[in-house]
Amino acid sequence: MAVKIIESCVNCFACEPVCPSKAIFEAKPHFLVDAKKCTECEGDFPVFQCASICPIEGAILNSLGEAINPPGSLTGIPPEKMAEAMAELQSH
Amino acid sequence: MQLPVLNDTPAAKGGCAASSCGTTENQMDTLPDSIREKVQNHPCYSEDAHHYFARMHVAVAPACNIQCHYCNRKYDCANESRPGVVSELLTPDQAVKKTMAVAANIPQMTVLGIAGPGDPLANPERTFETFRRLSEEAPDIKLCVSTNGLALPDAVEELSKHNIDHVTITINCVDPEVGAKIYPWIFWKNRRIKGIKGAKILIEQQQKGLEMLIAKGILVKVNSVMIPGVNDQHLAEVSKVVKSKGAFLHNVMPLIAEAEHGTFYGVMGQRGPTPDELQDLQDSCSGDMNMMRHCRQCRADAVGMLGEDRGDEFTLDKIEDMEIDYQAAMEKRKVIHQAIQAEMDSKRLEKAEKAQQHKQEPKLTTRSVLMAVATSGQGVINMHFGHAKEFLIYEASPDGVRFISHRKADQYCGGDSTCGDGESTLQVTIRALAGCEAVLCSKVGYEPWEMLEAAGIAPNGEHAMEPIEEAVMAVYKEMAEAGKLDAVKDSVRAYA
Repeated sequence: MAVKIIESCVNCFACEPVCPSKAIFEAKPHFLVDAKKCTECEGDFPVFQCASICPIEGAILNSLGEAINPPGSLTGIPPEKMAEAMAELQSH
Repeated sequence: MQLPVLNDTPAAKGGCAASSCGTTENQMDTLPDSIREKVQNHPCYSEDAHHYFARMHVAVAPACNIQCHYCNRKYDCANESRPGVVSELLTPDQAVKKTMAVAANIPQMTVLGIAGPGDPLANPERTFETFRRLSEEAPDIKLCVSTNGLALPDAVEELSKHNIDHVTITINCVDPEVGAKIYPWIFWKNRRIKGIKGAKILIEQQQKGLEMLIAKGILVKVNSVMIPGVNDQHLAEVSKVVKSKGAFLHNVMPLIAEAEHGTFYGVMGQRGPTPDELQDLQDSCSGDMNMMRHCRQCRADAVGMLGEDRGDEFTLDKIEDMEIDYQAAMEKRKVIHQAIQAEMDSKRLEKAEKAQQHKQEPKLTTRSVLMAVATSGQGVINMHFGHAKEFLIYEASPDGVRFISHRKADQYCGGDSTCGDGESTLQVTIRALAGCEAVLCSKVGYEPWEMLEAAGIAPNGEHAMEPIEEAVMAVYKEMAEAGKLDAVKDSVRAYA
C-alpha cells in the first residue's frame, strides 16, 4: 500500500513536509515516494496529505494506479477545454 | 496602530492634488517621516525611488498552499516575465550567495524580496533561513516578503525578528463569493478545501495577518489582481477595507491571462483589463488610498531596476566563480546610496519649486493629454525610442503632470520578435502606445518617426536628459499654444 508520484510532478516541494511518514524525498527528475514508508496516511489523517496539497492533476496515483486528483478536479478547467487550448497552440 | 489618512483632500482627479506635479510626490509628502524614511529607497514602494534603486527576488520558495486561477505551477520559461515564473530554484545558501553577488555588482540594489515561485510562508524553513542569514551577513539590504496571506498570522512573530519592515499581501477580495471565483482551493488544517468555504478561510487569514503586521509596526502593501467581471467592481471596497486597517499602499495590477500559460483564466478565455479600465479603477480607489502605479509584475527571480532583468548575469554557475568581499562592497554601497539620496533630494526640491512656479502662472483650460516617455532611470528622458522595452505613461493637464502607468513595448515575451501573429516589434510598440499623443525619448529613428506620426503620436526627441515631469509639461504647453488641445479628442479613450 503506497501512493506513487509520477513524471508530471513539477518539484514544488509542497508534499514533502506534509507527509506524516516522511516517505517523500527529493529526487531527479522528480520527487519520489518510499513505498516501504508510505502508510497512505492511515492512522494519521483521513485523506492523503500529499495529494491534498499537490497542485498538479494526475501527478499522484493511489495503490490501484489511479490519479487521486483526476483531470479538471483541481484547476476547474474541463479536460476537453484544456485539450482544445493545447491543440490550438500546437497548430500555430 | 492606525496610519494617518493619506490623500484625504478632495482631488481634481485620481488623488492628484490640483496644485502640483505628480501624484506620487504628493503622496510622499503626506507620508509621515517614519514611513517615508522606510520607503524612500525602495523601488517597489516609492515611484520616485524606482528611477534610481534596484531590487531582486530570490526563488527559494517553491511550495504553495493555495491555487489561484491566474497561476499555473507548471510554468517555467526564460522569456516570460510575470509573477510565479522562475528559471532556477535556489537553496537558502545559494540565495544568500546570489544576493551578496548582486549587491556587490549592482550597488543600487537596496531590496531583496522573496516572492515565490510559490508562497514564501508555505516554505517557512527555506524563507526564514534566507532572511536570518541575510540580516546577519548583509545588514544594509532591506528584506521584504510577498504572500497570499493564508499562513501569515502564524508567521508574523518570526517575520518581525528578521529586519523585515515591508510585507506585501495579495488580497483580491474580501467577499468569499468573489473569492470562490478566484481561488479553487486552499490547503488548510490537513485538508484541501474548495469553493466558498476555502475562500472564506483565506480572506479571514489575510485580514487577521494584515492587522497583526500593522500592530507590529510593519509596513503593509496590498496587491490585487484586477479581473474584469470577477472582482473589478469589488476592488474599491477592498481598497477601503485594507486602508482602514492600516495598509499604506494599494497596488492594483492587471490580470495576465493567455491560453498558452495553461491557467484557468487563460484557457477559459478570461480577458485582462484594458489600460483604460485599469487606470479608471486605480483612480476610483485613489480617493481612499495611496495607489501604486509603477509595478512591473516581475518574475519571482528578477534582478535589477524595475522593468529590467539582469538575472542572466547572476546564474548559479556565474556566482560560483565570484569572490565577494562584502565588507568592502558595503562601504562602496553606502557612498553610492548617499550620492543617490542627495540627487533625489535636490531633484525633489527642484520639482517642488517648479510646481510652485506652475501654480503662479495663468491656468490653462485645455484638456488632458497622455504622453509616453522612454527612460532608463534617474528620472530623466534618456532612452532611444528603439531601445525602449517599456514606456512610462504620464498625463499632462492644467493641474500638472502625473504618472499613470507603464506599458510594455515587447509584451510579456522577450523571445523571437517574429513569434506570435507576425506583427513587427515596431507595430506592437506603436499599438502599445495607443491613446498617447506624444512620445518623448532621447532619439527616434526615421522609420519609427513616420509610423508614429501616421498613428497620431508625435515623436519628440527635443528633451533628452531633461527631468521627465518638466519635459512633459513643456510639450503640453507647446501643444496648447499651437492650438492642438482645443477640441476634445474622442480617440484618447478608445484603446482596447
